[in-house]
Amino acid sequence: MTMQSMHDKILELWPELVLFAGTCVVMVMGLSPKLAVRRMCAPVAGAALAVAGVLAALTTPEGRGLLPGLMPFAKVVVSVVGLAMLLLLDGTVDRTEERLIASGQPFNPLRTNRAEFYAFFLFSLTGLMLCASANDLIWLFLALELTSLPTYIMVTISRGGKAGARSQEAGVKYFFLGAMGAATFLFGFALLYGATGTTNLQAMKEFFAHAGEGGGITDLAIAGMLMSLLGVAFKIAAVPMHLYTPDVYEGAAAPVSAFLAFTPKTAGFISMILLCSTMGWTHGAGHSLPDLVRLLLWVMAALTMTVGNVLAILQSNVKRMLAYSSVAHSGYMLVALVAGPGSGRGITDNGLAAILFYLLSYGLMNLGAFAVLACLERRPGPDGEYREIETVDDLRGLCKTQPALGWTMVVCALSLLGFPPLLGFFAKVPLFTSAIAAGEIVLVVILGVNAAIAAYYYLRLVAMPLLEEPDATLPPAARTPFVSRPLAAFISAASVVVLVAFAGTLMREAGEAAKPPKATGHSNAAK
Amino acid sequence: MTELATTVWQGLAAAGLGAAEGWGVPPAVPGPMWIGLIPALPLLAVVLCTLCAIFKVKSKLPAWLTVGCLAASFVVTLLMYLNMSGSPMLSTAFTWIDVSWGSERSPRNLHANFGFYIDSLTCLWMLFVTGLATLIALYASEYMSHDVGKGYSRFFAAFSLFVFSMACLVMADNLILLYLGWEGVGLCSYLLIGYFYKKPSAVAAAKKAFIMNRIGDLGLALGIFLIFVKFGTVEYAKLFADGAFKEMLGHAMTGTSESWAKIPWDVKLIPILLMVGAFGKSAQFPLYVWLPDAMEGPTPVSALIHAATMVTAGVFLIARTYAVFQLSPSALTIVAIIGTVTALLAATIGMAQFDIKRIMAYSTVSQLGYMFAGLGVMTSVGACFHVFTHAFFKALLFLACGAVMHGFAGQLDLRKLSGVGKMPGWRIVGITMLVGCLNLAGFPLLAGFWSKDMILAQAFITPGMGLVGWVLLLTAGLTAYYTFRVYFRVFVGPQEHHPGDEAHGHDDHDAHGHGGHGHDDHGHAKADHKHEAHDFHPHPPGWAINLVLVVLAAASFAIIPLTFMGKHGGWVGDMVSHSSAAWSAPGEHHDDHAGHSHAAGDTHSHAGESSRSHDEEKLGTFLGMDPHAVMYYVSGVVGLIGIGVAYRLHLQGRTSAATSRADALLPMLGPIPKWAQNKWYVDEFYHFLFVRPLWVLSHIFHLIDRMLVDGLVNLAGILPRALGATIRPSQSGQLHGYAVAMAGGIGVLLLIVLLVAR
Repeated sequence: MTMQSMHDKILELWPELVLFAGTCVVMVMGLSPKLAVRRMCAPVAGAALAVAGVLAALTTPEGRGLLPGLMPFAKVVVSVVGLAMLLLLDGTVDRTEERLIASGQPFNPLRTNRAEFYAFFLFSLTGLMLCASANDLIWLFLALELTSLPTYIMVTISRGGKAGARSQEAGVKYFFLGAMGAATFLFGFALLYGATGTTNLQAMKEFFAHAGEGGGITDLAIAGMLMSLLGVAFKIAAVPMHLYTPDVYEGAAAPVSAFLAFTPKTAGFISMILLCSTMGWTHGAGHSLPDLVRLLLWVMAALTMTVGNVLAILQSNVKRMLAYSSVAHSGYMLVALVAGPGSGRGITDNGLAAILFYLLSYGLMNLGAFAVLACLERRPGPDGEYREIETVDDLRGLCKTQPALGWTMVVCALSLLGFPPLLGFFAKVPLFTSAIAAGEIVLVVILGVNAAIAAYYYLRLVAMPLLEEPDATLPPAARTPFVSRPLAAFISAASVVVLVAFAGTLMREAGEAAKPPKATGHSNAAK
Repeated sequence: MTELATTVWQGLAAAGLGAAEGWGVPPAVPGPMWIGLIPALPLLAVVLCTLCAIFKVKSKLPAWLTVGCLAASFVVTLLMYLNMSGSPMLSTAFTWIDVSWGSERSPRNLHANFGFYIDSLTCLWMLFVTGLATLIALYASEYMSHDVGKGYSRFFAAFSLFVFSMACLVMADNLILLYLGWEGVGLCSYLLIGYFYKKPSAVAAAKKAFIMNRIGDLGLALGIFLIFVKFGTVEYAKLFADGAFKEMLGHAMTGTSESWAKIPWDVKLIPILLMVGAFGKSAQFPLYVWLPDAMEGPTPVSALIHAATMVTAGVFLIARTYAVFQLSPSALTIVAIIGTVTALLAATIGMAQFDIKRIMAYSTVSQLGYMFAGLGVMTSVGACFHVFTHAFFKALLFLACGAVMHGFAGQLDLRKLSGVGKMPGWRIVGITMLVGCLNLAGFPLLAGFWSKDMILAQAFITPGMGLVGWVLLLTAGLTAYYTFRVYFRVFVGPQEHHPGDEAHGHDDHDAHGHGGHGHDDHGHAKADHKHEAHDFHPHPPGWAINLVLVVLAAASFAIIPLTFMGKHGGWVGDMVSHSSAAWSAPGEHHDDHAGHSHAAGDTHSHAGESSRSHDEEKLGTFLGMDPHAVMYYVSGVVGLIGIGVAYRLHLQGRTSAATSRADALLPMLGPIPKWAQNKWYVDEFYHFLFVRPLWVLSHIFHLIDRMLVDGLVNLAGILPRALGATIRPSQSGQLHGYAVAMAGGIGVLLLIVLLVAR
């Protein structure tokens, strides 16, 4: 069995190491008594991300592992979206604290959350990158948890004042249910180990590939795979593990909700791709996964799309609506997971590439929608509390009161809906084509119907800002005093439009990332 | 006259010989990339006009941008025409749709480029589309001037978008891109009919046009699907070269009942479905009722979209896929009959209308009927020729009517206007209107005369189509009558005018003369001419409108020589017969034809027909004479009779605008004029048959929506609380509830998977 030596492995981990170093620096700086130093937390985190992204882009895949090209691509995507997220996260914590300091109170290290917040942000992204590098079940488990654990805390501390109670409730819910999800996939991992006698993913793949020669896919292995996928479904918020989503997204501050919609979801999909790759899409007549696994993903995809979309229709709270739509988007991507990498005939056949491309697109356009919410607030009421913009009605006439933000919302909602010629459309097309290529026609029909249902509620996000008149009885929503938040919104809106020109290139890159290695399994299996 | 006829005649005979080469489009060759500029330039105009709208430009800039881009597009089209070779050119802008599926053994692939299939048919269409669009945009720059700053940018953005869509439709190298263009022109038509969106009738007309077109588009979509299912491709070049397709074509040509039986029924269905699409877009019976209502849009729109270009898309579709239409024994017969019925029906309605723009609209429907009848009797050359000439003179007629409407505050009633052509400043409008009317009436030697003749003659020649020919001949007389009814009532005779009522009509006109085109002295507020109609000063058209009218009138003369250039059907015939619309039987030999090349020497189309019957004796005649030889005289005389009757009834001895001699005749005809004036109650019939039931149905659905969906929304609010109350006794039980639900969900999902799998 070919085990990668530790030395080789570390060479591939430079981006993660840089992020980790950045984490340590940020953690210390955030506790500095000097405001200027504390304010450097975000730039340092950004620098670390940028360096990590460049390093990842420079890494050449060595042709090893289940999907050798996955690592650099995923890491670059993570650092790019991470940078945009960082702009959005500005000002999420310590707003009350800084007001107190400005009013003359001394700095109290016990009351500041800045250090933890940015450190955990970087930790989470480190975990996400490690997921992409995973070649072992234990590694994968740790990476998944490293992605999620910081987010529990980020949710909890994301809001201050009275709203803090809601974010704390959300954080606690998220933590306990997340623990349950982790327990589920850990159980699955244990079964997989029991079935194959190895935790190495490559070795596991070879074991599965040799039916009858002391290997093959046993019932135990199937059971392990099913439990693993169900557990990881928590990360991507797929049915039935989606129940936490609306409560947590609603409870957390909008920037953190945007972060939640991208980071654990990406980690979850990368893990699912890796896990499914061990069994491969080469079983049965239609060249799909083993029957039971395919069936599970099939049912999960159909239910996730439908449940997410139907429940999103019923929401009047934008954050809850976006939360349910995030569930639905996971369902769309699961369709491509069922389809698998395809025959390699054409770039549009490759479902895994479709997922990777969709994750990038979804990350950007969803960021824009949440960013608009994060940029707005109602003036303090009698209790002196700023109120977040939450309901769809709050967006009424936004294109007239805040034209730039209003149009950002319009563009991002249209893109999320998959309206041509925006990025969301070009991201959705490969999902369809790969599933058609795999012969999953019924699933494609369900996907199409769901894409149509999604129009119903996304168009409300378009119509409210664009067509309605501002509500005269309420004071207009004001911008939050953070410059970088609207910047994040505009960047994501612009990328939704501009990246269309590079959709072909991105899709090709994603195709490279999702290309299975050359079939050399048999020579290795002899060992 | 005789000599002319002989010249044309010999050309036609020569074409018959050409037909012997057999149908078969030569293999396509790669074309230059710059062809893509033709649709790209109008698209650029869309972008620029949109920017003008965003930056709230308050000048005529959008119009000049549009005119510039469209003119450039026309120049590129000319270059494309000059670059044409014998083979169709294929030029791909980018790969658009490329999906493959199926197993290794039977791979399926849907491939559609954003690419262009350039043959002479494409060139013909694009030349008049871009040329007329440029002229009409220039006209509109003045016509829409009262809207500068308000809807001006919107108008020109939609206008340019229309030209882009039309270019996609015509230049597409596959049916999917054609469909995109097809829907695009439909959308622009909707946007422009509903341009005065504050006016309920305009909104209703826009909706009517859009919904009526849905019916046709469904047919087209199904037809395209079926072509893909049967032949595995949607690209013209591949379809025409497809082995199975050619084999079926061979069966169709053999023409015996056994060979027809070898063509599957669903292949025979394809042309029927495509035909439905063509009927919707080209306003044929029973889907024609949207076109007259579409006149709610600004007149330049009526001229370009609803007279000259978009409505001919149906003719283009059939011409482009003419070979496919040979696969059904009945499709072209249906086309001929429907075309004829439409021609007659619309002409009778047109005779009884008073709104001159509506008369022109019905005349468009009627002339489109001619074109379809031409396609149906197998003269694609005649049909396309008529499209070409009609585009010029009908645009001219609409624009002249538009000038009247523009100058007389929206007045369109022919009982309220008289002698307009003699008023100062209106001379050009009067003369150009006369040119257009003569063309439409088929006055001998004018362009409209030649193209109409070709269809009429072929209708008499084609076996079994004699009745079609007679009805079309009758319609030609009616056309001449109603055309000159308008001319004699409005443009000549005693001078009299009453301004239109802009209050609920064209609210856009209320600021006439303030639009900055030099007629400020005629400026008047809306209230003025409501109360003091006698103070109304019509304001004559400015240079842009006059220039365009003159150019179009000159063009309608300039295309006459084209009739005699080239072999058969003139220049247009040359263009058509070197494209996929040409038709003759595959594998037929020169010698077979030599014997009756005189009698059958019409077009390629005829060659196909005769080989189908294999019996030249069946060829029709006109009262025992050769239709081609006599039709020039016959139709010329019929046209002159129509004009004469109109003169007698509507000009001779007429003293006021409102009355004419025709009024005395009306009681003799009983209720028929009233029926015709009410459009034979077709709209009411549709309303009773479709609108009412749908209205009832939609209210039922609305109730269901209210009860079911709203109920669900309310339930969604209640359910969590109710659930909470039942499954969590303690107050912090929500978390437990979620955990239980998740665990239960895992269990259920596993159970489903196991049960389904085992």
